[in-house]
Amino acid sequence: MKNCYEPFPMHIERVVVETTDATLKSFELTFDRKEDCAEFFEKYNPGQFCQLSIFGKGEAPIGIASAAWEGNFVRFTVQKMGKFTSAIHAMRAGDPIGMRGPLGNGFPLGDWKGLHLLVIGGGCAFSTLYAMTKHILHPSHRAEYGEITALYGTRNSGLCLYKPVIEEWHNRDDMVVHQAIDVPEENWKYHVGFVPAVLEEIAPSPRNTVAVLCGPPAMTKFTLPVLTKLAFPPERIYTSLEKRMKCGVGHCGRCNIGHKYVCKDGPVFTLKELQELPNEI
Amino acid sequence: MPTKWISRKDLKKLPDQWLKQYDVYAPIQNGHELAFQLVKESAQIVWDVPSNPRYPAKSLFLPQSEVLMSYDGILHSVEKVERPKVLFGLHPCDARAIRLLDHALVDEQNPDEYWKSKRQSTIIVSTACISPDESCFCTAVGGSPFNTADSDALIVEVEDEFCVYVLTEKGGVLFSKLPDAEDAQREKVEKLTKKVEAGMPKAFPKKKLHDNLLASFETDFWKEVSQSCLGCGVCTFLCPSCFCFDIADETVRKERVRNWDSCMFRTYSLEASGHNPRPTKMERTRQRVMHKFVYWVDLVGEIGCTGCGRCVKYCPVNIDIRAIAQDALHREFEGMKK
Repeated sequence: MKNCYEPFPMHIERVVVETTDATLKSFELTFDRKEDCAEFFEKYNPGQFCQLSIFGKGEAPIGIASAAWEGNFVRFTVQKMGKFTSAIHAMRAGDPIGMRGPLGNGFPLGDWKGLHLLVIGGGCAFSTLYAMTKHILHPSHRAEYGEITALYGTRNSGLCLYKPVIEEWHNRDDMVVHQAIDVPEENWKYHVGFVPAVLEEIAPSPRNTVAVLCGPPAMTKFTLPVLTKLAFPPERIYTSLEKRMKCGVGHCGRCNIGHKYVCKDGPVFTLKELQELPNEI
Repeated sequence: MPTKWISRKDLKKLPDQWLKQYDVYAPIQNGHELAFQLVKESAQIVWDVPSNPRYPAKSLFLPQSEVLMSYDGILHSVEKVERPKVLFGLHPCDARAIRLLDHALVDEQNPDEYWKSKRQSTIIVSTACISPDESCFCTAVGGSPFNTADSDALIVEVEDEFCVYVLTEKGGVLFSKLPDAEDAQREKVEKLTKKVEAGMPKAFPKKKLHDNLLASFETDFWKEVSQSCLGCGVCTFLCPSCFCFDIADETVRKERVRNWDSCMFRTYSLEASGHNPRPTKMERTRQRVMHKFVYWVDLVGEIGCTGCGRCVKYCPVNIDIRAIAQDALHREFEGMKK
């Protein structure tokens, strides 16, 4: 029986404390069984998520933060919030854990070939955008896309994820990175202000460009109108949603918006698709 | 497919024959109420079921609590070989709900094997609902007390005898030895069908109801409708087409189980951040009604309520989904598609 509720047995290979306040950690998971690894990477598309599973604590849906080319592991960046995420934050390299996935649709990277990309992230929701950007920056994919402009905002510099890699991105000549923090800090070289304001300031062109947006609900709410003002059409604006989920495969009923399930039909939707659904995000 | 005829006396003996090969589930007396349960002998079966048993027949395929996996350091699927079963004596509304739930639980990519294996091993023999309850409204939502669409066989009681509509090959196996119904007998059934259906409510205009409800989404209509709701969830637990479940770990038993859940509960959609897309009973009542009359229609083209009347009958504060639908049909909501 192929059971869609049965997690792959995995182990935590590495734990990275991402932020100075240690509320965000990245966990790199490796597969206990070769066949599970093959099955995962055959299906994986950036923007998808997995259900992480700790027996006794249940499961939680977490976005995938690694690109396939990085190796035979899967990275998840987790904010310590509730029962499950507190439990995983207490885990260390070598600990066993379960994982189901990849789940959901992911970003339609095939449709975006030949287009410029505007990547907008806020806080910990940057994780799947990080995976997507890494995927595209790989030498075998980079030429398929146009210019890449990234805007990444965090409350302060300490809360920025993946610091060494983002530092490298600043030095690349094939992408432009805008970083922003909410309030001024000493020695901060980049923007100060909320993401919507910074976006308005840098005013990227919508010409042949796809905008991909992932952030906390407040940021999304105020950034979407700026994109519209900049003349990005709703079918070229993509965002990834979060909902409470249990099964992750469209059976348990919980994550619907109208007749769509965020787990199965999403988590990635265009603004156009969302405009056609009831307002219940 | 053939139409057969059988006397009451002979019909009552049939389940004993089935029991040699099948597990038979049928309405039996369980304390003060009827319930679909495993039958040991024909004599236990309650033949005249005046109204639907409190728990719908879905419980046999999606039990209220079901072990999915056991844990011994990793989680292992619990694999159970399903015995061949006959589910007997449910009304067409419950049979329709089971077919609707196939859409919800069995998709090509990730079929729910627990549901699927129980479905495949079961022959569904419904009985026509010849004296519908006052809370029944199957005809308003696309069904009929004599609906043959969703069962393997349908039995209709006519003047103390029974007509058996064999509807699938699977169903035919149980009735192969019976004589075919004669024309005069068939006519009697058709007459009875017309008579009972005539006393039932008219079909809701599906499209208009769908559009009106969508237009009502952000209006105070839902505040009004949900005002008396206690959030007890009985409407969803007893609904034959509700399927929401929670997955939970039983650490003492070392099992991962799924339990029925309800969109009428506050914690159902509550997120770890504290955000809740359905924070009050208004949004939750709206979800229940919209799911049945809008989202199911969008997904499979038919209303997801089967009109069994349980939510109407058992609601402790008399919230009536028929009345909500009627009300929504007769109101003008702002921005409504004309």
